[in-house]
Amino acid sequence: MAVSTVYTTQSLNSTCSISTPAKTHLGFHQKQVVFYRRTSKKGSSSGSGSGSGSGSCVITCSAGDSQTVVIGLAADSGCGKSTFMRRLTSVFGGAAEPPKGGNPDSNTLISDMTTVICLDDYHSLDRTGRKEKGVTALDPRANDFDLMYEQVKAIKNGVAVDKPIYNHVTGLLDPPELIKPPKILVIEGLHPMFDERVRDLLDFSIYLDISNEVKFAWKIQRDMAERGHSLESIKASIEARKPDFDAYIDPQKKYADAVIEVLPTQLIPDDNEGKVLRVRLIMKEGVKNFSPVYLFDEGSTISWIPCGRKLTCSYPGIKFHYAPDSYFGNEVSILEMDGQFDRLDELIYVESHLSNISTKFYGEVTQQMLKHADFPGSNNGTGLFQTIVGLKIRDLYEQITSSKTAAPLEATKA
Amino acid sequence: MATLFSLSLAAPRMVASLPDSTKSSTVKAAYQPWKRVIPVGCKRIVAVKASPDSISEKVEQSIKEAQEACSDDPASGECVAAWDEVEELSAAASHARDRQNDNDPLENYCKDNPETDECKTYDN
Repeated sequence: MAVSTVYTTQSLNSTCSISTPAKTHLGFHQKQVVFYRRTSKKGSSSGSGSGSGSGSCVITCSAGDSQTVVIGLAADSGCGKSTFMRRLTSVFGGAAEPPKGGNPDSNTLISDMTTVICLDDYHSLDRTGRKEKGVTALDPRANDFDLMYEQVKAIKNGVAVDKPIYNHVTGLLDPPELIKPPKILVIEGLHPMFDERVRDLLDFSIYLDISNEVKFAWKIQRDMAERGHSLESIKASIEARKPDFDAYIDPQKKYADAVIEVLPTQLIPDDNEGKVLRVRLIMKEGVKNFSPVYLFDEGSTISWIPCGRKLTCSYPGIKFHYAPDSYFGNEVSILEMDGQFDRLDELIYVESHLSNISTKFYGEVTQQMLKHADFPGSNNGTGLFQTIVGLKIRDLYEQITSSKTAAPLEATKA
Repeated sequence: MATLFSLSLAAPRMVASLPDSTKSSTVKAAYQPWKRVIPVGCKRIVAVKASPDSISEKVEQSIKEAQEACSDDPASGECVAAWDEVEELSAAASHARDRQNDNDPLENYCKDNPETDECKTYDN
């Protein structure tokens, strides 16, 4: 399977390319056949048209395939990474599924455009190893960052890799599976932004920051159906992991381009049910190919309650807030939603008032939310902001790929 | 070198006696038709996803182990690692439950074969 790209420039009247057989990881030779022909521009004399062009011609061409766009997603266990992944892959079209015919306990998801890799596959210690050493999976000592960096770099450059598999059921490291470079690679896990080299490879990074109360409520929801679990065991589990989480995972949020922060609601005083959520989308300013979502007027501070004469909402209603701010020393814009959606028209009303959401048609956010109405968070800010971030990533991908086709033209003009 | 595999499965009647081979271990099996002898070196790999029940049992067990480990010293590495294991298994159990809920046989079949009669959709 060979993909060839031919770059042509009319101005120089020549086509250029480099014929360097590049050996891929699997030993195939990727030949880029390039024809180079220089014709003289002195067309006045018809007979002796030998090219005697003076001056050297420096031609730089890229010898690789179009680069994969790499997205990083960081979150603790049980915080909604899987839901986010499903929404994200759905924005690009198609459902992401585990590779067919491979290890059934594989953590990888593949769709037409995207491949999602779980960073747990880069554990250097399996479950027994970690038990012996007394380290958690959150500890960097349990992860092989060198391998992670090499493989992500290889995939980004269009080389397929054999990635190990960490089996969550048995707790062992299974034989590797082949990962072919996709158009978009998403790496999700506990440490996508921990290692500096891996961080530099990311085109966009997201951190899901769930507050302690909400995390406790979600874990109770998830685990109470399991025999053996009780409120005490869930609480003990969260507290035992907290020191490592605060030391190794939480600091990654200052590197993220977008942080989705989930907090308990402020609309209901003394609420301890945790059903209504206040969600903040913290977007870094100045990120390449990413323009933050805003409400009404970019850079100003706005508080907005959409419920009123035109829209009727049930208790507790919806409240929006938008403001510029500073987050760990970076300039950010924060869009915040508190409350929940009860009806379709609330959602479409809100969507029509948000700006810079990178939709391709009116109502796309609503349509995406409805498509996955059974996912958790589909009636509040978590689903809304995850969908919006998904659309922003699509926009970023399109910007990167269209700028790549323009880049060779620039290079040859030099 | 005649392998154990070819001898015992292909011709169960023969008593499995091998030619001299210093490296492989010999298995002498009497003719017992009711008993399948699976020789050393023959692997039957069946790829099956773990059932939610087996994971649930693992979760239960890991919680007990964690409580034991922490009764001695709540701040030790073993205690923390044990609760981390509980968390990991709980997450795996929850994913397994979600996967089970998604398993509609018709949907799965139609995903791979959308052109069959049962799976055609008409959007007008």
